[in-house]
Amino acid sequence: MTASEKLTTLEEMVAAIPNGASIGLGGSFLHRGPFAFVRELIRQGKRDLEIIKASPGYDIDILCRAGCVSRVRAGIVAMEGNFGLAGGYRKAIESGAVKLEEHACMTLTAGLRAAGAGVPFMPVGGVHGSQIAEVSGWKKIADPYGSGEEVWLIPAIRPDFAVIHAHAVDRDGNARVEGSPHWDRAMTRAARKVLVTAETLARPESFAERPELTLVPGFMTAAAVHVPQGAWPGSLAPVYDVNYEAAARYVEESADGSIAEHMAAAPEARQEEPA
Amino acid sequence: MTSYTPFSYVVINLARLIRPSEVTFSGVNSTLPMLACLVAKRAYDFNFTWLNVAGGVDAELAGPVPLSSGDAALTAGSRSIFANEDFYDLCTRGGMDLCFLGASQIDGTGATNNSVIGDWDTPKVRLPGGGGSAVMMPTLKRAATWRTEHSTRTLVDKLFFQTAKGNLQSVVTPMCVFDKREGRLAVASYHPDVTLDEIRAATGFETDISQAQPTPEPTEAELAALRSLDPDGTFEADAAIRMPEVAA
Repeated sequence: MTASEKLTTLEEMVAAIPNGASIGLGGSFLHRGPFAFVRELIRQGKRDLEIIKASPGYDIDILCRAGCVSRVRAGIVAMEGNFGLAGGYRKAIESGAVKLEEHACMTLTAGLRAAGAGVPFMPVGGVHGSQIAEVSGWKKIADPYGSGEEVWLIPAIRPDFAVIHAHAVDRDGNARVEGSPHWDRAMTRAARKVLVTAETLARPESFAERPELTLVPGFMTAAAVHVPQGAWPGSLAPVYDVNYEAAARYVEESADGSIAEHMAAAPEARQEEPA
Repeated sequence: MTSYTPFSYVVINLARLIRPSEVTFSGVNSTLPMLACLVAKRAYDFNFTWLNVAGGVDAELAGPVPLSSGDAALTAGSRSIFANEDFYDLCTRGGMDLCFLGASQIDGTGATNNSVIGDWDTPKVRLPGGGGSAVMMPTLKRAATWRTEHSTRTLVDKLFFQTAKGNLQSVVTPMCVFDKREGRLAVASYHPDVTLDEIRAATGFETDISQAQPTPEPTEAELAALRSLDPDGTFEADAAIRMPEVAA
């Protein structure tokens, strides 16, 4: 048995991300996001990032508050639960500090599907009558096969990195996700490099037993890291629910201008402390 | 005296838009439609397919209703996971009958704005964005939206930005239910405690009231279903829906 070439630490994984990189994040709103990874981006002081995610919330909000982001491509942004708007994101867009490319969730995925398929653009249903097409600079064509239908085309979106939080990973980077994959399938096929954080480190045999549960095969994974509670304060069903108390404290504390306490309370920060 | 509260009026009248045998979808940031789908499942004596953004298909909740309408609790009892790419493709190929899609502003033609207050480039307020609405609204059969605030800021003659346009058929507010007729939102029915003059004063677009009727009272089954979903009134308190102040 050879040593793992994929397993690394959260610090090393993030250290390999250059300033200015575009990063597609997995999950949706408060659910199964790679949030420990996101906080490590902040700890390492990354700058000028582009964040790509159909429905970001906590992740884009805290990255905006920490000054790590300059561009975002998203379809809907909110803290969700019952927390309403994402105040840090909102302020960053309104002040012009962060530039938004607005999407309609599936248009973002159409762009990812284009990149995943290796073609320059992808048709998408709908969009007719939406001014998002104007502000995002999309084009439409008449069906070249003559049905008379017009179809909008979304240019390929190829993130430098896709980062997902999985339920389990093995030493070779195979990543298993239970429940909804959200948008993670298209995201991981589109990116130049796939990074996996995972709740548990599992035996390779367990992947061989149920290979259809593997969302990302190991050969596509550039690096993987075992991060228990990696989606905190969000959920990783059925292992843990949204920690509404921690999320509410983040919303309150960050509105007062600081994220220090929240960052210190994160599970990966507390695990680093000596026993 | 009506048995509606502003909250139960919105949820129950959203539930009444659901029809037998159809495919109905509830999305993210959509607590009231999530409750409406669950009310319909518990109170109505017919079958329909309920898809939700968490990937659930006809989920049967075992425990309490989650605060987040995208929570995996909404896949409990689901015998398949029908995730994002699947339900969007279903919609754009014409397989979605009714979708509940949020809107910050709605105009008289049923176009919606979820993007900005002010100019898109230099917004006064950056709103969450439309989620799937620009893709879904033109391709589904019927969309329904809801506003917890019925006012001339939310129901407007002119949108700040047109995030989505298409087949919006119904709008439910604490005051009334709008239904699209001949391309315009008309008052179909109204809360028993408000007058049509009050509705017109609180609505920023011209609306036809000629066929408006008082909304039928909630049934025992509807109220019981809603009580079972929100036993301690958490959702009702969070929604904080009030009637607009009307001049005495």
